[in-house]
Amino acid sequence: MLLPCPWCGPRNASEFRYVGEQTVRPDPATADPAEWRSYLYMESNPAGWVAENWLHRAGCRRYFAAERHTVTNQVRATRPPDAEAAPAQHADAAAAGRAGEHVREGRP
Amino acid sequence: MGERAPREAALVARSPIAPAPPATVEQGWEISARRSVARLRLTDATPLAKVLVRAAADGPVARGLEIRFGRAARDADGVLVVGSGPGEWLLLAPPGTAPEIARRVTARADGEFASTFDVTHGRALMRLSGAPASDALAKVCAIDLSDGVTPDGAAVRTSVAKLVTDLVRDDRGGEPSYLLHCERSSGQYLFDALLDAGDEFGVDVDGFVFPGV
Repeated sequence: MLLPCPWCGPRNASEFRYVGEQTVRPDPATADPAEWRSYLYMESNPAGWVAENWLHRAGCRRYFAAERHTVTNQVRATRPPDAEAAPAQHADAAAAGRAGEHVREGRP
Repeated sequence: MGERAPREAALVARSPIAPAPPATVEQGWEISARRSVARLRLTDATPLAKVLVRAAADGPVARGLEIRFGRAARDADGVLVVGSGPGEWLLLAPPGTAPEIARRVTARADGEFASTFDVTHGRALMRLSGAPASDALAKVCAIDLSDGVTPDGAAVRTSVAKLVTDLVRDDRGGEPSYLLHCERSSGQYLFDALLDAGDEFGVDVDGFVFPGV
């Protein structure tokens, strides 16, 4: 499976570490234990599109967000985390990464 | 109690990679004096000065280095500047010049917060040269090493033999040549893995020749 890193372009999935689904952190002032438990341990794990975070462990060592289909492993969009500006000087690699359609492996 | 042995005159720096015999000491480094004319040659280039630079990807330091992430080229002083990551550079220069190289980068910072680290003794560096270099490397690396995707002057950080490695294509004499840069503790492993991968291409160990860049 190839995963398109927004900085490095498509790379072997073994270079990445799966961080988890994107979720909203509860407000520490008001959250009860059930909310924390849900935030920390529960995943929705749908059979379909899911927004998740990945770390390019063996490459640029940056975190990024990806939209992946859990059945086909198709990745349709990757982007740097919101806090970080898009890497303007790496437009080529980013364009290649965002083109998506780096689908391989996984059941049809 | 016998006489105390006379103290050695000079300290010797050693690469993590055992030198292929005959070993010799040159400019304070223990290196291999072996010379090879094989089709594929592997050289321990660890004595090269290695300086790691961290700075903003679009700041004064980045503009001074003039190399973007994913590319590598020599500057006016002959230092090989490698764009090893977003906002991260690796500078390779002749042995012993690391403090001076670091000073030169810091001088260009112009108030920007930038860090320079002398990682000469903390990392291993090797060079794989020869016509079949790309084929040998392709056995342990998932990157497309064809001329169209990874031309001369390309730099990627990727997995080589399951090891996080900075891979720089730096052709010499019209032949493909790659620099591989990894943590010191993994140096001997990567060296052996490359010898193993290059075995079918007749790889041979070639000694380091100063200045080496």
